[in-house]
Amino acid sequence: MPPIIRMINLTKKFGNLTAVDHLDLEIEEGEILGLLGPNGAGKTTTLLMLTTVIKPTEGTAFIGPYDVTSESDKARTLIGMAFQDPKMLWVSTPWDVLNWHAKVCGLSTDERKKRVQWILEELGLWNERRKTVHTFSGGMRKRVETAKILIQRPKIAIIDEPTTQIDIVGKHKIWNMIRTLREEGSTILLATNELYEADMLSDRAAIMHKGKLLVCDNPKKLKDSIPGGDIIEVVLEKDIPKKSLEEVKKINRVVDVLATKPNHLKIYLNKAEEMLPQITEFFLKTQAPIKSIQMSEPTLDDVFVHYTGLTIEEAEKK
Amino acid sequence: MISLRNIWVVAERDLRTFVNYKFMLIMRAIWFLAQIALFGLIVNKMFKPDVELAIGTSYFNFYAAGIIITLLYSTTVFIGYDIYEEADHGVIEYLLSLPVSRKELVLGRSIGGGLRSFIYVSPMLLFVLYLIGVTNLLQFLVAFISLFLFAFGVAGFSITLAVSIKSSDKFDILLGVVDALIVRLSTTLYPLVYMPNYYQAFARFNPLTFAADLFRWGAGIESTVLTNPAVAVFGIILFFSIFTFLGIILHERRLEGGGWQ
Repeated sequence: MPPIIRMINLTKKFGNLTAVDHLDLEIEEGEILGLLGPNGAGKTTTLLMLTTVIKPTEGTAFIGPYDVTSESDKARTLIGMAFQDPKMLWVSTPWDVLNWHAKVCGLSTDERKKRVQWILEELGLWNERRKTVHTFSGGMRKRVETAKILIQRPKIAIIDEPTTQIDIVGKHKIWNMIRTLREEGSTILLATNELYEADMLSDRAAIMHKGKLLVCDNPKKLKDSIPGGDIIEVVLEKDIPKKSLEEVKKINRVVDVLATKPNHLKIYLNKAEEMLPQITEFFLKTQAPIKSIQMSEPTLDDVFVHYTGLTIEEAEKK
Repeated sequence: MISLRNIWVVAERDLRTFVNYKFMLIMRAIWFLAQIALFGLIVNKMFKPDVELAIGTSYFNFYAAGIIITLLYSTTVFIGYDIYEEADHGVIEYLLSLPVSRKELVLGRSIGGGLRSFIYVSPMLLFVLYLIGVTNLLQFLVAFISLFLFAFGVAGFSITLAVSIKSSDKFDILLGVVDALIVRLSTTLYPLVYMPNYYQAFARFNPLTFAADLFRWGAGIESTVLTNPAVAVFGIILFFSIFTFLGIILHERRLEGGGWQ
């Protein structure tokens, strides 16, 4: 079966800034693809090109059989998007926003009412359905935005940071709904800068940085691609001297060391459980008291660090 | 292929939004009543009987028919401000992502913007008709339908300006200037015969002149009308078509070209 989304050399420039730089990516039908990267990586611009809101400067993308540059009207019939920032007039009520969205997407009156009531109840907004959204918190508005896609149930659901500003209970609810959406037949492109979210939901994760695609694979393979299968995280009482940092790298089985903060180290190594006493002893000798120490497996955050040399926070600052 | 259902769904949204502008709607109604009850009556006294002899009806009747067109125009251009409100809240991007074509979107918005102000103006329009009286129902129906098209054209015009300028401050200033020119260089406020020839040249091709003359023709005060009603209907259709077409082009080129400023 051909991929349901194909991006071919997809590029968007705003003046001298290249927001998306020659992106080639394919998404299979029924897949959840997590598009990862810090703010400014080009994720949202990519999504806006796929939904035909903005036109590519170069290259193109196919939504099913339709070219977004020449068959944008047809492409949009397959797509639904929940935006990063809630897109609604603040004088509107959640009921009006969702009811009209369902109507413009072609749902029958009965189905529309049923789905709008269902989603408002599920997301805890039923009692607020007649209040204008300007009285809502950021999290509540975000829930209304995400609800649009959940009632539309499009062939391709494009979701931009669905759980930003939403509490942990709400996050789990929305994650479950996204999984259900896929089970009902939607292909999902999920942009996020929350690596845990991508790890939880995605079949594959594509990492973007400065408009370019760095890598795309399933999260497990991405994590396995990091040299040293385990991580020991050490937080010290005081900042570690540069010299000591170099010495840690020389310890047997240590593959790499990253100082995420001056007193916070991530040591990538093999067989962490056997190495733990040796690492502890090393810091005791260097007169750098350990505040805390723990073993962990690599996360997508580590994958991002591996490919860019930066943490997500550092990348956002740059 | 254009879907009428999609056009109506888009129009319906603008109709619903309009109801939220309660303050504007109340103020516009008060403005209209003040124009009729104060300006219209007082100026009518000043001009008697010279104007009546020249145009065959009282200035009050002439003015009342013209001011309703001015009200229809000024209420309809309000949709341009909606575009800026939507740009502020990112709603334009949302509308562009929906499964409706750009043609359906612009047509729906023009119709919604026109229809909502037409519905709003209707009670005042009936009040003016009560004051003037209707002599030929068929003529009035032709004029009435043409005013619908006129309102759609004004909405398309306002949408086109808003999308071209992309700055609410500039739009506001430009609209003030356009309003001064388009209303003053038309027959809404004064008969064509009193205008200098070089003003008449503009006024004869002004959509507000077409609308005001058609309305007067429909209301039976034909003595004031110099424009052929068929030409006026054609002019309004042309006005509507040009600005709907421009609106569609601008949605595709300017907005999709790089989003809102």
